[in-house]
Amino acid sequence: MRARLALLLLGTLLLAVVFLRAGLTRGFIDSLFSDQPARAVQLRVWDWWSAASNEEYGRYFDAVEQTFEARNPDVNVVYQVVPFGNYVQKLSTAMVGDTPPDVFQSSVYWAEGFYHRGMLRPLNDLLAENERASPPERVTEEMFLPPAWRHNRAQDGTVFGVPQIIDAECLIWNLDILEREAAHDDAIRDLFVRREDNSIDYAHLRFDALTSWDHFRSVTRKLTRRRADGALEQAGFVINGYGGGAGMFSPWLSSNGGRYQDAAGTRATFAGEAGVEAMRFLARLYWEDRVCPPFRRQITDAELFQEGKVACMVAGTWSGKDIMRNTLGWKHFSKTAFPPGPLGDGQKTVTWGNMLVISRRCEQVDAAWRYVQFVCGLEGNLLRSRILGYNGPRLDFYRTEQWHRAMAERPYLANVKNICLAGEKLRHTEIIAVNHQVNPIIETVLLRFPRIEAGKGPYPSIEAALQEAERNANGVFRRYNKQVARWLEKRGEG
Amino acid sequence: MRCLAPYLYIAPVFAVTIVFSFVAMGISLVASVYHYDAFAGASEFAGLENYRRALFADDSTFWLSLRNTAFYSAMCLVGVLLTALPLALLCQRARRFQALFRTLYFLPSITPGVILALVFYHIFGVWGQLLDTAWTSLPALALLGVWSGAGYNMVIFLAGLSEIPPQFYEAAQIDGAGRAQQFRHITVPLLRNTLVFVMVMTIIGSFQVFTSVYIMTGGGPERSTEVIAYTIFINAFAVAGQMGYASALAWLLFAVVFVFVLIQMRIFRSRRIYDE
Repeated sequence: MRARLALLLLGTLLLAVVFLRAGLTRGFIDSLFSDQPARAVQLRVWDWWSAASNEEYGRYFDAVEQTFEARNPDVNVVYQVVPFGNYVQKLSTAMVGDTPPDVFQSSVYWAEGFYHRGMLRPLNDLLAENERASPPERVTEEMFLPPAWRHNRAQDGTVFGVPQIIDAECLIWNLDILEREAAHDDAIRDLFVRREDNSIDYAHLRFDALTSWDHFRSVTRKLTRRRADGALEQAGFVINGYGGGAGMFSPWLSSNGGRYQDAAGTRATFAGEAGVEAMRFLARLYWEDRVCPPFRRQITDAELFQEGKVACMVAGTWSGKDIMRNTLGWKHFSKTAFPPGPLGDGQKTVTWGNMLVISRRCEQVDAAWRYVQFVCGLEGNLLRSRILGYNGPRLDFYRTEQWHRAMAERPYLANVKNICLAGEKLRHTEIIAVNHQVNPIIETVLLRFPRIEAGKGPYPSIEAALQEAERNANGVFRRYNKQVARWLEKRGEG
Repeated sequence: MRCLAPYLYIAPVFAVTIVFSFVAMGISLVASVYHYDAFAGASEFAGLENYRRALFADDSTFWLSLRNTAFYSAMCLVGVLLTALPLALLCQRARRFQALFRTLYFLPSITPGVILALVFYHIFGVWGQLLDTAWTSLPALALLGVWSGAGYNMVIFLAGLSEIPPQFYEAAQIDGAGRAQQFRHITVPLLRNTLVFVMVMTIIGSFQVFTSVYIMTGGGPERSTEVIAYTIFINAFAVAGQMGYASALAWLLFAVVFVFVLIQMRIFRSRRIYDE
């Protein structure tokens, strides 16, 4: 009997420790010991960014919460972390279960879908009122870089989100490697910025350093080094062969004057001449120019780049801070947009702006909107820049002293604004479903390019492969648009 | 009251099973004939449209994923039989540390699938990039399936082996039968029911393989590891309004597994092996 009692006590103690450690009882305990009066409004905020990710995110969320709550004594902000991969399911479940968050960060991957489902509150009335706010707190369209204000509005002009960040795909260059090559190669030296005294600034690449795909090809060939036995010592470029798919293909398509889909999400448009050329260009870099390391599933592009084995990789503009963290402070790298292809016109990429949105079922719209204004206003942008290393989607952000200081401390930020501005709209309709149809085909083209070109592959040609991918993507769009019509009909808006 | 007591004992589990298995199955059957969206609920009657699309549409991956699943299951079945039964025979003969061996071999069965998948993801990367080519990735996943299932099935076989009366072996030895003959004429026939159980459970389990695919390959490369459970998951949870279609896929999977198991049961139908 005594042993059982001891076991029971031990079990209870263990459970209590787990609950306490997991924070499940934190609110209850805080309420017991707090001498502050309870706040009238509890604002539930969902995000896939997590204070638990690392110290910086912890500090960021603390700073936002403390500053916002100090200015809004009636509001208690409660953050809930939802993993990126489960966001749609969790949010749908919360909506159906009538427990949605009041405000949440939405990726451009889902924002359009959430809006079509009727989950998001249109913000046009709040934005109209916000026109009168002073510029740092104003979050209307004219305050933002144009590419940031694309994914947050429907075709009919309804705005359903306010951009919190801006990102773009870019080419990231290892300047250690480039500087070494520049010592004996004029063409590589020309990629760098020249100071007023005509000396070379080895910390900065010119935004338009790469003038064409051929130029890119020649540079990456020069940067590729092989040992005497033919083994790759240093690669000029890296291509993600497994699962990179449309994400890797889109910026090249864009730089060749093509678009992945139309604005309405009714038609895929990537299998035209521009797309075929982009696909062939990438495959040739790997198979004919041999400037890339072998396709490997288990080794990411970023790992190879950070180990100094690759001179250039494709990544988001956001990735600079991650590279710095993973390499313990190395920052001798630089970013450029994608050079124009044969059908392209100028430097291009794809850009997106993840946003804060207000749930349609939010009952404390005023508090939610105050939160959106704060986080998406200039102050929120500066907080993210200072603590997390993000650049902001706002125009006034780039005029601040803090941004100029950040660029001086981390020269890789120099081209970021121009890269974001050079971006076409990232694909946005039913991305996961479209990826499921398109990515395996792009993967096959990359892995079996020589056989396809020889007429012995699983597709008779690159054109045929991309046409099949486009057909399948159009099938997804067709079904999705039917589904949207059903949602509208159900809400009586059809 | 005495008659009622047993029913009361099983009532809680029965209720949970009814609600979370049979009611859920019923809902999915209904969903399969609708254009069903998890967010908005059923919206339009589709009849057999979802089934037709799964079976005949150009962009359907049902047949491809079914083929992959069938290959995976066949490899797992053969692998499990070739590892679990010999392990059980060896374990049975071990005079010392039998419990230790049993525990060690059983460990993978109680390790979370996600962890196994992550560990093997890196192991396969070191071993010649098994996940990088279309023709090695599915066998690599099956290898993981066999490895993680061998211990569990070994314990089942051990239980079956312990049921075989030792007198049969003694009589056979007196008659001059060798080890191989004993195995063929005594062990295999008397292990028939256990074999059927292991085969049925392996087939059912391997037709539902998901975790390793989701974690390790995402269905690639070139769709070579896209199995039916993965296709169902993508359509149900990652595509807007396709819950009905995903339900139809799930019922087609059910039909396939049902037929397989039925055939197995027919072939291995229990009969008296030796009169006692």
